[in-house]
This record gives sequence, C-alpha cells and structure tokens, in this order.
Amino acid sequence: MSVESPGRYVGGEKNQIIKPIDDSIVRTVFCFPDVYEIGMSNLALQILYKVLNGPEWSSCERAFSPWPDMDKKMRENNIPLYSLETRSPLNEFDVIAFSLGYEMCFTNVLQMLDLGGVPLLAKDRKDTDPIVVAGGPVTCNIEPMADFFDAAFLGEGEEVDLEFTKVIKEYKDAGKKDRKALLRKLADIEGVYVPSLYEPKFEGGRFTGYDIKDNAPSSVRKRIIKDLDSVEYPLSPVIPNNNVVHDRAYLELFRGCIRGCRFCQAGYLYRPVREKSMKTLCEQGIAIMNNTGYDELGILSLSTSDYTELGALTDGLLEVFNKQHSSLSLPSLRIDNFALDLMEKASQTRKTGLTFAPEAGTQRLRDVINKGINEEDIMSSLELAFKGGWSTVKLYFMLGLPTETMEDVEGIANLAIKIEKLYFDTMRSIGAKPRKPEITVSTSMFIPKPFTPFQWEDQNTEEQFLQKQTTIRNMLKKHRNIRYIWHDVKTSCWEGIYARGDRRLCPVILEGYKRGSIFDAWDQFFDYEMWTGILKDNGLSWEDYTQGRTVDDPLPWDNIDVGVRKEFLKREREKAYNEQVTPNCRQQCSGCGATCYKAGICP
Amino acid sequence: MNAQEQLREMTRKAHQHEYVCRGLFERKGALSYIGHLDLKAVFERALRRAGLPILYSQGFNPRPMLVFALPLGVGINTEGDWLDVSMEVPVDADEYVRRINEELPDGLRVIRAVSIDEPKNSIMSVVTCASYRIEAKGVTQAVLDLFGQKEIITKKKSKGREVEVDIRPLLIKPLTSSSPDCAEYMCYAGSKQNLRPDVLLKALCEAGFSRAEADEAVITRLELYGGEYPDLSAIEGLT
Ligand code: SF4
Ligand code: SF4
Repeated sequence: MSVESPGRYVGGEKNQIIKPIDDSIVRTVFCFPDVYEIGMSNLALQILYKVLNGPEWSSCERAFSPWPDMDKKMRENNIPLYSLETRSPLNEFDVIAFSLGYEMCFTNVLQMLDLGGVPLLAKDRKDTDPIVVAGGPVTCNIEPMADFFDAAFLGEGEEVDLEFTKVIKEYKDAGKKDRKALLRKLADIEGVYVPSLYEPKFEGGRFTGYDIKDNAPSSVRKRIIKDLDSVEYPLSPVIPNNNVVHDRAYLELFRGCIRGCRFCQAGYLYRPVREKSMKTLCEQGIAIMNNTGYDELGILSLSTSDYTELGALTDGLLEVFNKQHSSLSLPSLRIDNFALDLMEKASQTRKTGLTFAPEAGTQRLRDVINKGINEEDIMSSLELAFKGGWSTVKLYFMLGLPTETMEDVEGIANLAIKIEKLYFDTMRSIGAKPRKPEITVSTSMFIPKPFTPFQWEDQNTEEQFLQKQTTIRNMLKKHRNIRYIWHDVKTSCWEGIYARGDRRLCPVILEGYKRGSIFDAWDQFFDYEMWTGILKDNGLSWEDYTQGRTVDDPLPWDNIDVGVRKEFLKREREKAYNEQVTPNCRQQCSGCGATCYKAGICP
Repeated sequence: MNAQEQLREMTRKAHQHEYVCRGLFERKGALSYIGHLDLKAVFERALRRAGLPILYSQGFNPRPMLVFALPLGVGINTEGDWLDVSMEVPVDADEYVRRINEELPDGLRVIRAVSIDEPKNSIMSVVTCASYRIEAKGVTQAVLDLFGQKEIITKKKSKGREVEVDIRPLLIKPLTSSSPDCAEYMCYAGSKQNLRPDVLLKALCEAGFSRAEADEAVITRLELYGGEYPDLSAIEGLT
C-alpha cells in the first residue's frame, strides 16, 4: 500500500471487539469524521464502543475519514469505505453514528457517507438504508447539517444509545418497513432530535421558527448521566497500534464546569457539574493503567483544579504510579501554590510549561466574560513558579470579545511584557542567574456560540481580527523572549457561520463537498474563497449568520433544550455589559435552569 | 555509541545485573503496517500489561530497556526477528513467551526465547545478514536477473541529498525458489551495511519490473544471522 500511515486503515488493535454479522444483531458503525489518530484519542468513541457492544443483540464497529491520499485511491479503485472490524462497507450497517466534536468536520461526514455508498440526503434514503445519526457537542445546533442526518442525539450518550438501538432492533426484526414511522418513533425518545419533523420557516431572509410535523415534541431536551460512578467506563479501551495524538489512557473526573465563563459553550452545555467519587476514580485509574500498559494517565475534565478532592486523588494515584514508572498528566490546572506543587510531584521528569488562560487583556474585559482570574493572582503565582525554577509560560487569549476596545487588545501584549519583566526581577531578587524565559502568547478568535450569553453578539470581521493581530505583533516585536502565535483568521470566520447556522447552509456544505472540499479543519485544505463563493451563489452572506441579532429574534436552536434557560442567558448578557461577575456554582447557585435535571451540584 | 547504547551503559553501571529475555518473533497482518517506534510501543505496553519485571533506563525519562536486532520497515512481515528485553530479575524463557503472548495483539507473537545473563554485546551489533521473501507476479526471475548484474546503481537519499550507490555488493545470494512469483534471497544487514527490501524493489523497478506489482508485493523477513558470511551463526547464541 503506498499511502501515508497505512496502520490507520487496518484495525487489529488489542481490545478491538469483533462480533458476528447476524440478522438478529443491530449493527452500528461509529464514524469519526477525521483521521484515525485523532478519532482514537476521543473518549466518547471508547465509551460508546463499549456500551453498544454490551448486549448480545447489538454490535459496534469503527470507521474513520480516509486521508486525501487514501480517499483518492479508494475513488480510483472503487473501494468503499469499510469498518475496521469486519471490513463491511458503511451501507451494510443498520446505524451509522457520527461523533461531531467541531463544526469544521462537516464535509468529512459527507465524504464518509459518500465513500460508504450511503445516499447523502436523509430524504433520499430508502427503508432499508442505514439510519444516520449524529452525537457530540455540535448537535446542539445541527441545523447546517440537518438534511444529512436522520436523527441527532443531544447530550450524553451512554443511556440513550441503547434505547435508540432497541427501537432500531424492532424495526429490523419487522423487516425494515416504513422509515417515516420509525423516525417519528425515534423522536419520542428523550434526547433524540429528528430534523425532518421540524421545518424551518424564513421571512425576508430571516429565520422565523419551525413548522412542527406529526405532533413531534416542541422541544428536545438533552440527556445527561446523573450518576457517573455507576455508568460504564472503558477500563480496557481499544489500544491503537500506531501513534495517536496522545498516547495515554484517560480518566474523566467530572462532567460540566462550575465557572460559567460567558463565551464558553461547554460551560453551559454540560451543566450541571457532576463529579465521580474519589474512590471510583482511584480504582478506575489504577485498573485502566494495568489493563492498557500505558505509562501515562491523562486527567480529563474542563477545569481539573475544580475537582473537590484533587489533592487526595492525585496522592493516591501517584503512590501507585511512582512504582510503575507511570506519570500523571494534569491539563487545565489553575496555577497556584497547590498546582505547582502537584505538577512537580506528578511529572518526576523535567519542568513542563505553565499554562494560563486569562482570555482577555484587561480586568474590565475579564469581568465582562466572567473569567474569574485577575492580574495579581497571575503575577503572584508566576513569581512563585519562577522562584521554583519554571521559565516557560503559555498564555491564551481571545480576540473579538464583546465590548472589546483597542485598549483591551493592547492589554494582551502589556500583560506578556509585564510577565517578562517579572521573570528578570524575580531572578534578580533571589540572586539567581536568569535563563532565557519562554513566554508564548496565543490568540484565537472569539466566535459567538449557541447557548451562551453571547449567542446574540456580532462576530468580528476578518479585517478586525487581522488589525488586532497586527497590533499585538507590533507591540511584541522587540521582545525576544515573547513568542506570539495566532490562529488562522479565515477558518474562524467560516466556523462562525456554522456555529449559528441554519438549514439554508445544507446545500452550501453539499456543494463545497462536491467541489472536492474535505478536511476543512486542516488549514492547508481549507479554501475560504471557494466557500464564500458558494455562500453567495446560494443567496446568503457571511453577515446573515454573524451579525445583527436581537434577543427577541427566534433562533434556529430554540427547539433544543439544554437545561439552561434563555431568560438566564439574557440576564447574564446584561451583567456582562455592566461588567458584573457571576459567582460560580459552588459559591452560589445563579438559577440557570439546570436544576431540572435534579443532579450534581444543583440545589 | 549511539544514544540508546549510552543509556544502556548508564543502566548497566547503575544496576548490578541485567537479565535479558531474547525472543524470536513474527509479525503479520495489521501489525505489519506500523513503523518501528510504534512496534516498540506495542511491545512496551504488552510487557507492562503482562506485569513482567522489566528494567528501566536511568535518567530523566526512564524507558523500558528494549532492543531490536534490526528495525522493521512499515509494511514488512517477519518470521524471524529478534528482540532483547532487559529484566530486573531472572525470568524463565518459557514463562516469558507465555506471558507476553497473552498480551500481544493478534499478528504479533513471540515464537521462542532464551534467557541471557548479562549479554556482552548489544543485539544490534551482532546482526550481519538477513534473508527475505518477496511475493509478486514474476518477481523470481526479476530478482535472479538482478543477481546476474555486475553493478546495480540506484539513487539513495542521504542527508537530504540524492546520491548514487551500487547495491550489488550488498546482495549475497538468491535462495531456491519453488514458484515464479516468490523470490527469496540473502543480503547484508545490520548497522554496518544494510540492504532494505524497499530499496531492492526500487532497483527491480528501475530494471523494468512493474511498479504496480511492486506496490502490491508482500515482503517477509525470514531470518537474521550473525557472524561473517559464509560462516553464519544464529542470533540467539551471540551474547
Ligand atoms: S473554566 Fe470557563 S472556559 Fe473553562 S470550561 Fe469552565 S466555563 Fe469554560
Ligand atoms: S442551577 Fe444553579 S447550581 Fe445548577 S448549574 Fe445552574 S447555576 Fe449551577
């Protein structure tokens, strides 16, 4: 085989599950619309693979996007996209389940369906064709892809997946007749959205709401797992043979985040916070390492430091790991005395870099976005860190946040410069010989996302973003210890369209795919000019999606209920404009609406 | 001394003793499509799962002490490669084979092993020759023709530049073949001089063999040898 990394396409890993192909078994293929190496680092894949392979009447296999070189070969030689386990073409499955983690993978969904011999449009599929579903955070607004999916799962999949598969089993046992009736039935499962039952209406180029067909539920509520201790967790995950993005085992501490930073979709989407108990985590962490043979355990959660018993948990794990030459990787720590201590203990190796995400350059703007981190805290923890021998710092910021002025943009560069000075001052004060500190400033573009208080905001234009990047670059030019890296503006501009998109984008995405666009998440393949051309051909513009909404405008995701109420988001928006912060869920409940789940941290 | 050998030295000094399990292994199927470093990681994880008392290198980033006799390229099967694994305490060779095979993914298997107390030479340094099988339509005659040539000039990338090299001196002899579509041959291998099978395939194509057939060829390493040709000796005895 003369393709790059052929190991991607052959499977054969330890713990892969191969079940017989049998009429009494509902066959699902879990599709990850990116390359194998990225997909295999995805925890949802490992969890649902185990869950769906649980009952004897259900099986789950895997498929990934073929890289462009393989894509070309498959088309030239008429090779269909097949599953790794049984080499079955996708169109032989009962269910094709996509995991959508980011919007820019949309054309890869079409690539996989197309290569798998499945009709791209849901309306063209026959009774016996596979049911194509989507899961993952992107489904909270699946409208830009609604024409291609028969159904979408909202929220966490562990329970709903098997409920769904059971209905498919009845359908299969009855000989797969009447797809329409099946879809209607699926819509009755809590957390399942069937786009074809909701017909969007537009007036004068604006979305005005949905015509709901067949008495479908007026809104679909996301599912959550109430008790994470008792839910299935893959202690013997599939272990890839070729190097994946992160070659390590994973342990999930909790779901959700107490903080509610106003730009952060994950912070609202996964509410309420639910923790696993320390006992469960210790047992799972040790078991997973013994079962996999990995030498590193990666802690997963939105904000690791917020786990209530982090110290005791890491002590317990490290005691075992130190004997086994294993290490613990702790991302998203809030840097303070405790965290520095912990990092030192966790990696017996060299000191890694420190990461801060102030997101905004001034305290005013940090209050607007409810980022509870202030400059004094950053400076005092850094002073400690510098004294302790650290000299590598990474700072993450966003450009284009609501109410941002040039003063805020300059604040980003100024903060980095202050940190550089702090390093040398600290070294002098303790009489140490300074090394060359490495300070990295990284900016990404703020994209307003559904289900956040900023869902009505304007997105910055390409020119605005570029101007801000240039300002920072110029300010940092003379500072040899500070490196400035920035994201590609064009990709972010386009992502903003998908984030708050509606169903009129379906033909746009289809056309982009037909013109050969795949792997748009990879900058080298993304053709912005082509895409904006197609948008125009469809009578749409970038501004339609990224500018000018009022809080009273109907939104394409109004028929989705994630627990957080719109009234709360409006209140948060007002508070943002007044530069008022909101306490985190642990300090005080702000009544966001997620109490409806009667789970986790909520009163 | 390369970095790996240096690490070995450091460890040797720090530890009283190094007990090596030297295993003959085969690989085929899905496992043949991974690179050398990935293969090493697959073995490392299997050893850890098996709970074997592997010895770790010293230094900032302790690694299990694994040494392959000769790296295996992507896409190449093997029936006769060797891997040395250092242990903290003596491990019975048969027990080693049993325990690691329980944990290896399908397609990888340790056929047999010997226990060696404190080997004097790195297994990498003892390999001198290898034999290979290439299965492709019409390949047997093409390989024989190659052996008939006085020199085989082919281009090779060396330090980013293309240089011309004569690979004929690296070929030792063709082995008897039972089919016109299956060539077996012996060539020099190891850290001093080495003929990779893909380089041989390239030379075949340059001499007129079909590129399409070469792309689909199944390549298998049959055996590794030490010693000085024609006085070859088995790897397991070269400690
Ligand atoms: S801390 Fe803020 S940015 Fe991070 S996950 Fe929580 S809400 Fe989002
Ligand atoms: S209901 Fe209160 S505690 Fe629960 S997630 Fe919302 S704000 Fe937090």
